[in-house]
Amino acid sequence: MKPRRRMQLAMSGGRPDRTPFMCQMSIGHMLQQLNVAAADFWCDPRVFADGLVRLQRQYGFDGILVSLHGHDPEWRQNIRERFPTDGGESIRWNDGSVTFFPLDDLPHHTPVSEPEPREIDPSLIPKEIDYIPVSQGLHFHVHPKHAFDILHRVRSLAGSDVAIHAEVTSPFDYFLDWLGHERGLMVLIDDPLTASLMLKKFAAGVAVIADGMCREDIDAIKISSPFAGAGFLSRSHYEEFILPHERTVVEAIQRTGIPAYLHTCGAIGDRLDLMKRTGARGLECLDPPPIGSTDLEEAFRILGGSMFVKGNVDPVNTLLLASDAQMREDVCRRIALGKKYGRFILSTACSIAPHVPKEKILMMRSIVEQDQPRKRTIFGKKAVHRHDT
Amino acid sequence: MTPEFDELQTALIGGNHVRTAEMTQSFVTSGATPQDILEKGLLPAMQVVGRRFRDGEVFLPEVLVAARAMKSAMAVLEPLLAAAKYQSKGKVVLGTVKGDVHDIGKNLVGVMLRGAGFEVVDIGTGCAAEKFVDAVRKHQPHVLGLSALLTTTMTYMKTVIDTLRSSGMDVPVIVGGAPVNAEFAQQIGAAGTARTAGDAVELVHRLIPQA
Repeated sequence: MKPRRRMQLAMSGGRPDRTPFMCQMSIGHMLQQLNVAAADFWCDPRVFADGLVRLQRQYGFDGILVSLHGHDPEWRQNIRERFPTDGGESIRWNDGSVTFFPLDDLPHHTPVSEPEPREIDPSLIPKEIDYIPVSQGLHFHVHPKHAFDILHRVRSLAGSDVAIHAEVTSPFDYFLDWLGHERGLMVLIDDPLTASLMLKKFAAGVAVIADGMCREDIDAIKISSPFAGAGFLSRSHYEEFILPHERTVVEAIQRTGIPAYLHTCGAIGDRLDLMKRTGARGLECLDPPPIGSTDLEEAFRILGGSMFVKGNVDPVNTLLLASDAQMREDVCRRIALGKKYGRFILSTACSIAPHVPKEKILMMRSIVEQDQPRKRTIFGKKAVHRHDT
Repeated sequence: MTPEFDELQTALIGGNHVRTAEMTQSFVTSGATPQDILEKGLLPAMQVVGRRFRDGEVFLPEVLVAARAMKSAMAVLEPLLAAAKYQSKGKVVLGTVKGDVHDIGKNLVGVMLRGAGFEVVDIGTGCAAEKFVDAVRKHQPHVLGLSALLTTTMTYMKTVIDTLRSSGMDVPVIVGGAPVNAEFAQQIGAAGTARTAGDAVELVHRLIPQA
């Protein structure tokens, strides 16, 4: 069975020939494996696309997550100076700002001056969003004329047999990035109505991005929402500030026929039912203890076959720190549960940590390739009727 | 909780910083000592917030608005406490280690420690070992806290501890962050770790017996 078909069947409740395998990787892990200049990998669409496809082939993943989009093919014209620094290299851009590109982590950007705090005013939020709030203080600018070129480029390199997933950032991430994390969280209590209006505007902007992605030859879109877990918000705040706005994005994606899935890090075991109510077709991550709070079997029961699950091997405690025997046991247990309940893609929970050895991922692939299909899953039959028609 | 401070405590726990500051000023004006306002009014209220956070009854937004209310009250009290030579429960220096720019966890630990009556010096993110050494030399903390979110940066915590020790500094070091666990803390010579900010406060209490 072709990898793409295997992924499609797992996501839709069909019966793939074996458990599909597709992990998301930290930028640091990709850099460690690829031996390319970190700045080139981050900024250059050709290097980025080539790297993603090389790693998909190295690890035998059934799909590729394209986590950045909007690369500027002329990015080198913005460089004033490029110089080696301790642990990587730095670029001073024409505007005077500096980005340090470590060899095993996301870039660290230093603007010319710290931006002023923004007014808490929904009317200031632009209708068209032209950046990805990647991490604290780090934005990836989306070039309007090349917003989705990378998806096309990766498809061309990977061929038509591999699943390609695009990624958008949740409205709540944009909101926290816009106001600053602590200030944004306090606004939820100080002025919930304005917070909701701001989130609504961000949701509309993210929906436009997602709609553009859906015009490319992709198989799913991941909505990255790392701050929506119990480490940050109560269930009631999730219901008020996350659910309606992620639902807006999910609906924009799924009305095109492409499935959307949610990725929220950390403790989400208490809110799986709410995540289900977004209407998303799947959940990714589901961090197990101690990093998170999700028991995989309990998650399958709560979701009741209504969503596919992509997870949830602990990338730190299992892949980085555990013995090979412990890792095998952990992976096998998840595959067995996936076969029992159906709609399962084997993956790490959060991204593969930078210094996880290549051999560990290859071991996961070897285990999954020895997997045999299960004749009937607990939720399988019902799910096939609902989604394969 | 002390009945006379009920209303003040309710304002703080509810995150009403304007009301908390007004009531603190009102207690000062009516002759209450700043020590009593702090120790019988504000700190027990923040302990309630900390306990509720630990037990999953409140979450980060509620903690942050309560901490803001505490800060507004302290703006009233601090000059008076300084004049009275009031001693905090202890001093803690916090920083995120070199290579790591994340500060949400560190800031939350700082909020909870301040709320529990500790003096906190936050030296920021991306701190090299030498910066921690300088901060310990300058501030003489009872405890040093190191934060790291990434598996790539947590290993630098050992560099910090080794540098401190080779500089003759024996300050207890606590470490925290998503990938950090007790085994790792022990391996690198840290005095302990905590899964949550509330647990971090308890750990600091244990490390400063008089606190």
